Amino acid sequence: MDKNVTKQQTNELSVIGINKTFGTYQALSDVSFAVTPGEILGLIGPNGAGKSTLLECITGLLPVESGTIRWQGRQLSPEKRKQVLWYQPDNILPFAEQQVTTTLSFFQQIHGVDKMEIKQLVNRLELSPMLYKPLNALSKGYRHRVLLALALLSRQPLLMLDEPFDGFDLRQSLSVMDLLRECRAGRTMILSIHQLTEAEKICDRFLLLDQGRVLGIGTLDELRKQTGLASDARLEEVFLAIT
Amino acid sequence: MPLLKSPPKHQLARLVMIQEMRGLLVSPALWIMLIIVSLLVGYSFLQAVNLFSQASRTALSFPELAGGMNPLEGIFVPTFGAYYLSQTLLLPFVAIRLIGLDKQSGALKLLLQLPLSPLTLCGLKITAMGLVWLSSLLPAASALIIWHNLGGHIYPPEIAILLAGHGLYSLTVISIAMFAATISDSLPTAAMFCLAATLGSWVLDFAAAGQGGLLGILGSLSLTGMLRQFENGLLSTAYVAAFLSLALLFFLLTAIWLHPGRRMFLNLGKSFTCIALFCIVALSSLLAPKYMDVTENRRHSFNPADIRALQKLRKTLTITIYLDPQDSRLLDLKHDVLGKLRRSVPQLNVKYPQTKSAGLFGATESDNYGLIQYSYNGQHDQSYSNSENEILPIIYTLAGAQVVPDSIPTYSGHPLTAEATGSKWWFYIFLPLFFLCAGLYGRKGKW
Repeated sequence: MDKNVTKQQTNELSVIGINKTFGTYQALSDVSFAVTPGEILGLIGPNGAGKSTLLECITGLLPVESGTIRWQGRQLSPEKRKQVLWYQPDNILPFAEQQVTTTLSFFQQIHGVDKMEIKQLVNRLELSPMLYKPLNALSKGYRHRVLLALALLSRQPLLMLDEPFDGFDLRQSLSVMDLLRECRAGRTMILSIHQLTEAEKICDRFLLLDQGRVLGIGTLDELRKQTGLASDARLEEVFLAIT
Repeated sequence: MPLLKSPPKHQLARLVMIQEMRGLLVSPALWIMLIIVSLLVGYSFLQAVNLFSQASRTALSFPELAGGMNPLEGIFVPTFGAYYLSQTLLLPFVAIRLIGLDKQSGALKLLLQLPLSPLTLCGLKITAMGLVWLSSLLPAASALIIWHNLGGHIYPPEIAILLAGHGLYSLTVISIAMFAATISDSLPTAAMFCLAATLGSWVLDFAAAGQGGLLGILGSLSLTGMLRQFENGLLSTAYVAAFLSLALLFFLLTAIWLHPGRRMFLNLGKSFTCIALFCIVALSSLLAPKYMDVTENRRHSFNPADIRALQKLRKTLTITIYLDPQDSRLLDLKHDVLGKLRRSVPQLNVKYPQTKSAGLFGATESDNYGLIQYSYNGQHDQSYSNSENEILPIIYTLAGAQVVPDSIPTYSGHPLTAEATGSKWWFYIFLPLFFLCAGLYGRKGKW
């Protein structure tokens, strides 16, 4: 066994050389990174950088031209990925005509989660007044809370959330961050975020993506060093320096 | 961390199917369809009872006419005709939602992450749709009960084949709708695709009416043409296999193309394999069909003794018909004697030489016009008749067969003069209101 494989085994998820094109447009270009157990990795990049595409390629919802996904060193087939990761896309409205409680209950049963957990999530996300309303009747903020609840009901060891803070005000974002940290125990997360302030607060490491290419990966300190910025430089400045 | 242990597949499947059914029950399209079906079935049924009663009055005065009073043709086919309309024009809009709405809302991205294959997911969706489709039979079931209570006659095998025909037609339409939703980017595009298939089939059947040649064959193989065989009370393995294989083809294509993460060339390969298999199954079933006449008056069959005698013909019976494809005599001959001969004679060759009648009152171009020639084992005979009473003896003479018809009870018909106008409250008020309330309940997301 070579050195690289041994190194991959210490990682939870390894994404190696992902290339994805839509026609002639190169959406992802040789994207490689690894996630260590229990960490929160932030996918950072402007709109159109390829964050959602990358997450869908990792999940297997989009075919890739080349590249492999490994889990604890072993190559993962798209079918096996279902056991390892759960991906919550952005801007979805699943089962929108059904009451929120019905949808939550469906996912609770699908993931085999205790009913108490739903109650806790509902309380934490302040969803109680909305439980008996259809999802499509809720405001954008509440919709995002429901989607977050659905994601947090999953039991896969790797959770990938696309824009989890979209639609939340500052107070709500902070509350969601607390919740994610609590739910983090034993789980690894990849969060696709375009709001850099929020990303800086919750992520352990950052993958900077632009036009489908990885511009940098590391902790904020590592990225600061990479860009030669001061030790108090914000993620925003780092991102601007790199791009 | 170990891989997540998936919940049992059957439990997962049950949950997803319930969720699919909920999705359909909260859909306004379903309830609108059911309301329209109630009205259409009610109108068709009331009209049918009225016309059947009028015809029955004459038949009761002249018993020799009573044999023509058949509830399958007089009541049930027109009543179920309302379903043909709803299955052609409305059902696609309900079925498209099964996949189209999931694609549009993003729910499909979540469902595809469950440890269920796309094939299983499609199977669950179509099962849920099938169960919901059963609810649409409520107006027809009530029509049957009302007819029975009015003293009308019901022959269960005829109802069964009618239901089977509409069930297979619906299954095919649902499969096409699901496939249309899978390959389309939006619900309207999927609806157009599906309606093009169902309405196209209707247009093809309409255009091919009374036509021979390729158009005639295509017309009989259109969805509408195949359904008509069931409406006639003739169960054909060819049409059952054609419906089932067509439904299965679109179902499999849906399952193949449902997952966006599969490679295009792999999907194309699988699709071509399915289409090739469909062609083999459909062709083989069409080439060697088996028939069962389930009508009470056995109108698609000769006397059993005639059938036995015709089945014994070992050589090719050739019939040459000098009639224009549009000639009503040819249409009658095709629907009656020729159809029965095709189902009985092992080797039958029917020829239609180029013939033209000059017009309604004009002289014919050919002296042979109207002639039907029969050839068997080197012997020939001819006749102008299209009646089985004249045609069968000619064939038996050519074949040197002696046939004594079996004694079978004469069908005396089931004339009935009845008044069903009281049931209009049920079809026009109560049932639509019931479906409306159920729909409004569903709109609150309560299912």
